[in-house]
Amino acid sequence: MEPLSSYFLLSLVLLAIGIYGLIAKRNAIRLLFAVEIIINSATINFVAFSRYLQEPVITGQTFSLFAIALAATEAAVGLAIIVQAFRLNKDIDVLELKRLKG
Amino acid sequence: MAKLDIPLILIGALASAALLIPALDVGLGKARNAKFSGYFTLLILAFALLILTIGGLGLVPLDSSVPNLVQNDLLGVFFSFVVILVALLVTVTSFDYMKDNPNVSIYYSLLLFTSLGMVVLSFAVDLLMIFVAWELMSLPTFILAGFKKGDKLSNEAAVKYFILGALSSGVLLYGMSIIFGLSGSTNLNVVLNSLTNISPNMIPLAGFGAVMLIAGFGLKLSIVPFHMWIPDAYEGAPTTVSALLSAATKKAGFVAAIRVFAVLFPLLRFDLSMSLAIIALATMTLGNLSALTQKSITRMLAYSSIAQGGYLLIGLVVLPTSTLGLSGLLYHSLNHALLQATAFIAAAVVRYKTSKTSISSYNGLARVMPITAFSLMIALLGLVGIPPLNGFWSKLVLFTAAADGGFAWLALGGLVNTAISLGYYGIIVKRMYMDEPAEKVSIKEPFAMAAVLLITSAIIILTGIFPGPVFEFASRASTQFLSGI
Repeated sequence: MEPLSSYFLLSLVLLAIGIYGLIAKRNAIRLLFAVEIIINSATINFVAFSRYLQEPVITGQTFSLFAIALAATEAAVGLAIIVQAFRLNKDIDVLELKRLKG
Repeated sequence: MAKLDIPLILIGALASAALLIPALDVGLGKARNAKFSGYFTLLILAFALLILTIGGLGLVPLDSSVPNLVQNDLLGVFFSFVVILVALLVTVTSFDYMKDNPNVSIYYSLLLFTSLGMVVLSFAVDLLMIFVAWELMSLPTFILAGFKKGDKLSNEAAVKYFILGALSSGVLLYGMSIIFGLSGSTNLNVVLNSLTNISPNMIPLAGFGAVMLIAGFGLKLSIVPFHMWIPDAYEGAPTTVSALLSAATKKAGFVAAIRVFAVLFPLLRFDLSMSLAIIALATMTLGNLSALTQKSITRMLAYSSIAQGGYLLIGLVVLPTSTLGLSGLLYHSLNHALLQATAFIAAAVVRYKTSKTSISSYNGLARVMPITAFSLMIALLGLVGIPPLNGFWSKLVLFTAAADGGFAWLALGGLVNTAISLGYYGIIVKRMYMDEPAEKVSIKEPFAMAAVLLITSAIIILTGIFPGPVFEFASRASTQFLSGI
């Protein structure tokens, strides 16, 4: 297989794993992991496309660096919210978060 | 003659204020800075609004120093105007609403950061810039939604909003990576040029990318089937923040969607229009039907916000065929932002004074809090689209555009939905004006909140009676945008 399609396949598999994680898991930290996996699959795409295009460009690598930094800030904000949820509820099972309903 | 580089000025002003405000906690002391930061935020936002007005009226020609990243056009000016106006209203309401919170300066700082994100998003024409602005807009709102730290409901809203919001940026990023792979560039104008002569066997991949982008934007635009988090987030978050989320964040999501889909449409014209039309109808129907059975006002307004998102989507459906649709989208964005902000701020006043959000607590509100009840009535009637108010004109434009663009069934669906929505908006007006209050003690509304409510109601009525200038601005912005692509 040519390298670009194998990289694209890898990113598709990672995307599928991330979406599976979001649907099947109940722990908020695991959901955060699943989202991070999706972001990383997109990052792989950017780097692979950037390297194997007909005329390779640097934009993809730049974009991936931005994506990594933003994913880190997102994780920081998310962990802060989840820690607060744990303090309030002694639990981070998202299915137990059902006070808001209607 | 000097050129006005709006994005650059606003980035400088908003970012430096947002960074300065928390730092002043040390300099001034927390108690004094709590008051000062609110007024300072108001000042900065008023300055931003002034700059945008000058740019929007065309007094000074617009120019951008980094045209590859941000395009300084009227479309961006229009949406920035909407979000800054809403941020300003929310700030003034928060003077009282957030008074007892120990971290007020952080609140205002985050408010400025999210406004900055939305402004940059309105102007961004590069996928990289769109993504960075998207995150700058989203991250502060996650924290704002959970800003009442000890409140379990606020925290629950933040957790739900965060998971779905993070998913939205992940999926959006994936969609962008595919667009980049197909075109070899992230600048939307270059993407447009290289996608027009794409090889046919790459079309399915482009379709996959478009689906990912719809999902990513859809989570923020609250379109069906990505709407589940909206009612929970709006109900649990502080009500002023709900006003910001519904009236501003959603609009900023729309402008990014407009810019990206204007590029994607030439590629897969028919399919995308049709699927967006079906999504629009599903969104407005589901939003309106669910709103009918709600018991909490914030939850009802959340479903109403979903339904209004469906109306707005009509503008995207007819984007490739008419400028009228885009003008209608812009026009309805402004009107909807005003109406929804007024309704949420009225709900915030009631929650601040009585700490109640249930619809039954609005019985006889007209006698207890007359100004709040009046503004809420104006806002709700405007959301239905009763003729002399501004909501009527923008809905008219949107439905006409749908009918002209060959989507007569969508216009008809919109009309039926408007009739349904009268049910739940009307019931609140009836409760406020015809029912007896539980206690006949009149409650004094705080001055700042009452002023905001009266000013927004006045704007709603005036722009309803004289719809010309606003619509003119919207159609100038959309014509300029569509002639540019």
